[in-house]
Amino acid sequence: MSDKLYGYAGKVLRINLSIQEIKKESISKEFIYGYLGGRGFNVRRLYYEVPKGVKPLSPKNKLMFATGPLVGIGLPLGARLNVTAKSPLTGILGDSNVGGHFAAEMKYAGFDQIIIEGRSKKPIYIYIHDEDVEIIDAEGIWGLPISKAYDAIRRELRDWRIQVAIIGPAAENLVLFSSIFFNVYRPAARTGLGAVMASKMIKAIAIRGDGYIEVAKPNEFERFVEEMEEAIYSHEQYWPRRIMGTSRILLAANRLGFLPAKHFTEAVVEYAYKVSGERLAIEYNVKNRACFSCILPCSRFYVIRAGKFAGIYGEGPEYEALAGMTVRIGNDDLDYALKAINLANDLGMDIISLSEVIAWAMELYDRGLLNKEETNGLDLRWGNMETVLELIEMIAYRKGFGDILADGVAKAAKKLGKGLELAFHVKGLEMIQADPRGLKGYGLGFAVASRGADHLRSEPFIELSDDPEIGRKLFGEPEATLRLGVRGKGKLVAYYENWCALIDSLEVCKNIAENMEILPPDKIAETLRIVIGIKMDINDVMKIGERIVNIERAYIVREGIRRTNDTLPKRFLKEPIQKGPSAGHIIELEQMLNEYYKARGWDPETGIPTIEKLKELNLDDIAKDLISHHIKLR
Amino acid sequence: MGRYNAPMVRRIIVDPSKCVGCRYCELWCSYKHEGVFSVTLSRIIIVKDDRIGLDYPIVCRMCNPAPCVKSCPNDALIQGKDGIIRVIDVKCTGCGLCVRACQYGAIRLSPKLKKPLVCDLCDGDEPICVKKCPTNALRLYPLAEEDLCENGKVFDKAYRCALREYKDLMKRWGIHVR
Repeated sequence: MSDKLYGYAGKVLRINLSIQEIKKESISKEFIYGYLGGRGFNVRRLYYEVPKGVKPLSPKNKLMFATGPLVGIGLPLGARLNVTAKSPLTGILGDSNVGGHFAAEMKYAGFDQIIIEGRSKKPIYIYIHDEDVEIIDAEGIWGLPISKAYDAIRRELRDWRIQVAIIGPAAENLVLFSSIFFNVYRPAARTGLGAVMASKMIKAIAIRGDGYIEVAKPNEFERFVEEMEEAIYSHEQYWPRRIMGTSRILLAANRLGFLPAKHFTEAVVEYAYKVSGERLAIEYNVKNRACFSCILPCSRFYVIRAGKFAGIYGEGPEYEALAGMTVRIGNDDLDYALKAINLANDLGMDIISLSEVIAWAMELYDRGLLNKEETNGLDLRWGNMETVLELIEMIAYRKGFGDILADGVAKAAKKLGKGLELAFHVKGLEMIQADPRGLKGYGLGFAVASRGADHLRSEPFIELSDDPEIGRKLFGEPEATLRLGVRGKGKLVAYYENWCALIDSLEVCKNIAENMEILPPDKIAETLRIVIGIKMDINDVMKIGERIVNIERAYIVREGIRRTNDTLPKRFLKEPIQKGPSAGHIIELEQMLNEYYKARGWDPETGIPTIEKLKELNLDDIAKDLISHHIKLR
Repeated sequence: MGRYNAPMVRRIIVDPSKCVGCRYCELWCSYKHEGVFSVTLSRIIIVKDDRIGLDYPIVCRMCNPAPCVKSCPNDALIQGKDGIIRVIDVKCTGCGLCVRACQYGAIRLSPKLKKPLVCDLCDGDEPICVKKCPTNALRLYPLAEEDLCENGKVFDKAYRCALREYKDLMKRWGIHVR
């Protein structure tokens, strides 16, 4: 086999800001075959390079950007990037995945991974153009909101094609759920990576690449892509997704009864259409937009055409932001929601976490546990959007009551000494816009996900099929693929976690690859043969996914996470849903967890991977490291 | 616009309202012409500004006469009867005057070889950008020619206005209405 790397750019860029050192390292084939790219590359390095006890906002934390082999090569679904660091919000694994055009540009510049270490003394931004890496003074743009900073950098570099990763004022003020935005509307939103970037005094990273990527088997590749195009174009979800993106979920969630309305006190609402993706499509959207190299342009550009906010425009929103700024905080006014999303984006925050801290405060206020004195006079009635707009700014600039919420819901509850049981997070990460009592596989996924409450680690969408035959066939348990079923969910979630880890490492779109099942594991093996030129079968591929999940688990175990942390807020475990199609349901977590650890080969008492499992995955070194930290492995 | 009606002349026309900025065309253009995936080596360019949602394809408009052809001091660019501007590599010195001459920014020099990258309509095949575009924002012009009715015979002011403006719209779809 030749030394040429197909599908990869082949280099890692390492920038140490403390000593102003820039290094370019090559990537070994061993590393590639073990971890593929993206999330796999990042977490493997994070495990060793950011040891236990590093403070997330200290210069010792490292901020990593990595993309995968299927990006930038004309496959109709590869555009993604993983951003990883130790999270200041959760204190464990910080990781977020983003689409757009940055990842491809990074590969054309010659890098599969960028690692940033240390801390600059003054605000800077980094400009990467192929081999050239410049560190530029950012005094003039520090403090600017995302959209203004984007314009300023493009003007200064005189290049409209550059792709920019930017932080906003929220990150500069170290809001613990601040995000890194890619260009203007696409954030690597979760786990507070914006604050990590701000702690290093980086306002932005601008990148431009004039290089190219080759594939191993070009003759087969063309036909392979044509077949994939056809599979995507002919998919039943193609047009709904193209018209509405994920915003279409809101109405569906209302139909099935798993909305997070009024801070998860109601799973259905009467006004769902008023705040739905369907209504956006009919009344607001003006055009579609796509990630790099994608033939399913599911992002929408909207304009508010009338009323108080007429003339406001932007891209999105997706379901999470939409439901966050509507039903979760009891708001039925779509214009206000778009305005709030726009504002939170421009200031640079994760709207999932933002919606939880606001909804949490609103529920406390509603129950009389929080009064106006404590909220600086803010009237936190459900759906009081004027106040919400004010509060978003107060959080971003850490003013008054906003300063408390800016630390995320878990820390805010501790600080105020109230609402601890109502703080809806897992391992410090705020819950997404789905009620786990109505989606039990997702619920188990939230409880065990390596970065905290999160659906994208497992995304077991198949349970929405409510088809017992699929469950019987795939997992030997008909209930596994019933939304409200319990048995078999452990196997289901473990399988989907492995698959998602693969998708995040190849850096393809989860919507297309996983939800639309365009890239099932056997197809991944075939794709790797054609693009990279390596022979693997479905078992080899799934092993890589499992390896990544296990390293992540080992990472958080080293930071102190155990089975007791794999849980959900009490409301979901004890209080049944009141109304709608999921009425009467709680989530039977303990039973599912037992099954899950068994499927994973982890110690069911502690949730720690067993020695046997780590060895099976060629992670002997990780086992050794855990033991050296006095962690008992079975 | 009459000069484009000469027989045999086809060009790629764009409907920017449909372009979603995926740059699938750029990638496959580069692959078809250079055998590698790159956006810099593409002969079609998608101009983007995410803040305002701009996605706008720029590609050779086959001007006649073509300023780029005229500007070349070495006659390295020639325009055929089919309107396509071709580069004669051995004559080209990579001076870049053609790049300056094109008022649309539709010619660039490849970074390494310093040769002009200009659309050749894939030399007879269906252009790969047109084929790969997921939204029909790119079409080969003219796909069809239609005789609807002559303007003089149009009997109503509103009808005439609508027809005139609709013809412009149809042009974006690649249908040339006489």
